[in-house]
Amino acid sequence: MAPPTPDILRGTLDLLILKALSWGPAHGYAVARWIQQATDDALAVGEGSLYPALHRLEEREWITATWGPSENNRQAKYYALTRRGRARLKIEADNWRRYATAIFAALDAPALQE
Amino acid sequence: MPRWSRFRRLFGREPKADVDAELAFHLEMRTGELIDEGVPAERARALALRRFGDYDSPRQQCVAISERRERRMARIEYLTELRQDVVYAWRMLRRTPGFTLVALTTLALGIGANSAIFSVVQAVLLAPLPYRDAPRLYRVTTLYPDGTPYSLSPPDFMSVREQTRAFDQVEAFSGGVYTMLGAGEPREVRGIGVSDRLFDLLGLQPALGRGLLPGDNQPGHDGVAVLDYGFWQRQFGGDHHVLGRTVRIAGTPVEIVGVLARGARMLDAADVYTPLLYNDTFSAATAKGRRGEFLTVIGRARQGMALAEVDNDLRRIGSQLQSAFRATNDTLTFNATSLTDVVVGDVRRPLLLLLGAVGFVLLVACANVANLLLARASARQTELAVRSALGAGRVRLLRQLLTEAVVLGTAGAVLGLAIAFAATRALLAAQPADIPRVEDVTVNGAVVIFTFAIAIATSLGFGILPAFQFTGAGMQSALRETTRGATSVGGQRMRSALVVVEIALAVVLLTGAGLLVRSLIQLTRVDPGFRTEQALSFRVVLQGEKYKADEPTRIRVSEFEQRLRALPGVTNVGATSVLPLSGRGAMVGFAVEGAPPPPPNVNAEIALASTTPDYLRAIGATLMLGRQFSGADDTAAPRVAIVNEAAVRRWFAGENPIGRRINTNGVSREVVGVVADVLQRSAAEPVAPMVFVPFAQRTIRSLRMVVRTSADPSTLTSAIRAEIRALDAELAVADITPMGQLVARSLRRPRFYTSLLTVFAGVGLVLATIGVFGVMNYAVTQRGREISIRLALGALPGDVLRMIVSRALVLSAIGVSVGLGAAIALGRFIQGQLFGIALLDPVTFSAVPLVLAASAAFASFVPARRATKLDPANALREG
Repeated sequence: MAPPTPDILRGTLDLLILKALSWGPAHGYAVARWIQQATDDALAVGEGSLYPALHRLEEREWITATWGPSENNRQAKYYALTRRGRARLKIEADNWRRYATAIFAALDAPALQE
Repeated sequence: MPRWSRFRRLFGREPKADVDAELAFHLEMRTGELIDEGVPAERARALALRRFGDYDSPRQQCVAISERRERRMARIEYLTELRQDVVYAWRMLRRTPGFTLVALTTLALGIGANSAIFSVVQAVLLAPLPYRDAPRLYRVTTLYPDGTPYSLSPPDFMSVREQTRAFDQVEAFSGGVYTMLGAGEPREVRGIGVSDRLFDLLGLQPALGRGLLPGDNQPGHDGVAVLDYGFWQRQFGGDHHVLGRTVRIAGTPVEIVGVLARGARMLDAADVYTPLLYNDTFSAATAKGRRGEFLTVIGRARQGMALAEVDNDLRRIGSQLQSAFRATNDTLTFNATSLTDVVVGDVRRPLLLLLGAVGFVLLVACANVANLLLARASARQTELAVRSALGAGRVRLLRQLLTEAVVLGTAGAVLGLAIAFAATRALLAAQPADIPRVEDVTVNGAVVIFTFAIAIATSLGFGILPAFQFTGAGMQSALRETTRGATSVGGQRMRSALVVVEIALAVVLLTGAGLLVRSLIQLTRVDPGFRTEQALSFRVVLQGEKYKADEPTRIRVSEFEQRLRALPGVTNVGATSVLPLSGRGAMVGFAVEGAPPPPPNVNAEIALASTTPDYLRAIGATLMLGRQFSGADDTAAPRVAIVNEAAVRRWFAGENPIGRRINTNGVSREVVGVVADVLQRSAAEPVAPMVFVPFAQRTIRSLRMVVRTSADPSTLTSAIRAEIRALDAELAVADITPMGQLVARSLRRPRFYTSLLTVFAGVGLVLATIGVFGVMNYAVTQRGREISIRLALGALPGDVLRMIVSRALVLSAIGVSVGLGAAIALGRFIQGQLFGIALLDPVTFSAVPLVLAASAAFASFVPARRATKLDPANALREG
């Protein structure tokens, strides 16, 4: 079976979810939509992998879930960041920035001088 | 866990449905959006599914995660409720300090007694012996045709060692008391001679230097010794330079080559270990020395060998030796006893008996607390009914009540452990009986686990009845009936039944204690055959070159006697090889000359003691016939003997033996006297046939001397030491003991068991009495209105008193009959501990019901008095 998550997202899906929820509670579909727009449709194939990630974050108590009416008046499961989740988001985001900066710096670096 | 999540479950769905709904919502939203973009409906659905990717795997992952969370949450919820229950229970207990105090004291006593006895049982009976492969170790004994077990002789030991198929290793040792010189004052030490690889067999390691090795047993190399750790600490102050030092043991110089590890010890404690000297009798081929039995032999059975197989193998070796050495080994064989049984065999039954007894005490305590809890019924019923009305389920209430019981039980266990700790410390300090391994008794992990296990079991035991009672059928009516505080008739009946059980248990305990007390009285009434007051004994061992020959030894002993006799107040001085109540002494071959030889399966042996002329007078034994020994019965005179009455019964058919000739180990002697039986091992064991011979005609070097005085003999202790030292400064005076202590010592074990059981029975009786009081007191409260009406209608206070007391007596009568029946049924467990009385001892069996009846009458009298003082006007007011 092909991996449901594109390689680029492996390990960063959690970060994306936390970021998506940082503007307020949202249901899974809304999170998927946000990721679609923000990442130029990185999840194009395999939106399903979003849900285990949501449940895992809920288990870690970084996000919480409640059922509530959606915009079209259907019952939807809304996720919201907890205080711990917000703290986590900051740590993960900082890590990513440091990592990306280092990689970009490396990509722009000249050849090794003897 | 945030507070809201506990309620989430109330509204949340089942994890599977939950996940399905969530995923369906996603697909629907996506499909809807595609349709809005103009994609045809059926194609939109397919596109949405494709975008979603794999469906089953994420779904299963989500379900698994959710279920895991559910379980965790349920656990947290359970723990939260448990904490609430515990806190609540604690508050309830604090609100009723009287109840809590009585219940806790009862439980602490019951549980503490159990923990204490269990810690003894654990250390003495259950813990393996501190040896390598302890369960596979057996003691081998020579078995005479009449079933008497003996030690082994060196050649028999070597034969067993060479021919065995059941053991993979066979070793031997032999103990003795020796004088040690060259390390401060002359000192008596307990020495053990060991075979070549005994330390290896038992896994005893040296802490310093080396152990004893195979080469040490060879003649010329045996001058080495290994010290016991404790002895090294006491005698040498733990000095490491002790290695290489030479001391003299039993006159022979030996070099100290090692110190055994702390706690490493043989079956009996010893101070010094030396190699057994392998002379020419340590050979499987020789006939010489086969009947000189002095070795304790221990074998380790091969893996998986059962006792029966070991015994079979030993019998095979026995019969081989019977044919190979007919002259010495005819009719003899060998058998094996597990080493654990050798060590603790004779304390197992009494200790288990005590454990059973404390179990009964705990049951009484349990019934008592159950009764107390039931008595709180009226007080609690309103509260519980309210809680129930507010929506608490029956299971929830049951759980809460049981939690209260467990909180009570756990608190009881903590207090009980403190009691057990104090009790075992006291036991160790007092050493009230020579119980093997009692020095290992501690409140250890196993005891703590046992304590909490019985506490939980007890809590459920006393908690379950009241819990069901509370939450049962009576509940609904409770709210209505609270003004009267009435409980169901069933509750009253249950409480009465509990009291009957308590009384029955107390009866069993009291009967057991009564039987033991009666036995102990019988034991103390046994005539020891000697006068215990105003006499002292001590031990002195004449060792070394000076005493190699008999003549100087005899002269020295008579010098002792002269010197001691000259001390103020001394009336008699004697010496013997064995004191009363200190064992039977040497066993020698025996025959009555002129009598037909006894059949071969009779052990033709007799206990023998060498005594100086004044010895029997010094201990105060009664001469029945003939004469005492005199100074004239010396080496040059004809050989003579005095026999005891048991010997007359056994070997002379009760006829006057004076003038008859007997043969002891080949020496022909004329019987000149008969002495009344003197106790040898304990009052409970019959006196064995014994013969006394003059010390001058059979000179031994390990002496017990007896000094009888006209005043208090204890003032003579230092004078005695001084006199002996004046004659020979190298002699050690040991074990100075008043003769009375010999009797006391022989009664230590039965006294210990009896006092413990009596204490337990006393606790049981007190608890049962409290139980009767509780039930009657409660009944008076319940029936207060009825009693008031009776009084108003003209009943006399005496009638009311009689009514209440007689009801208590009926309960106790039922309890007593049940208890006596149970006591008889359990009789075989105590039978072995009885002496001089029948199991159905009429004194005990009539005293116990009287005691119980008295206690029931006493316990019901106070509530009955209260009943007579009730105001008849109450009957009108509450109508």
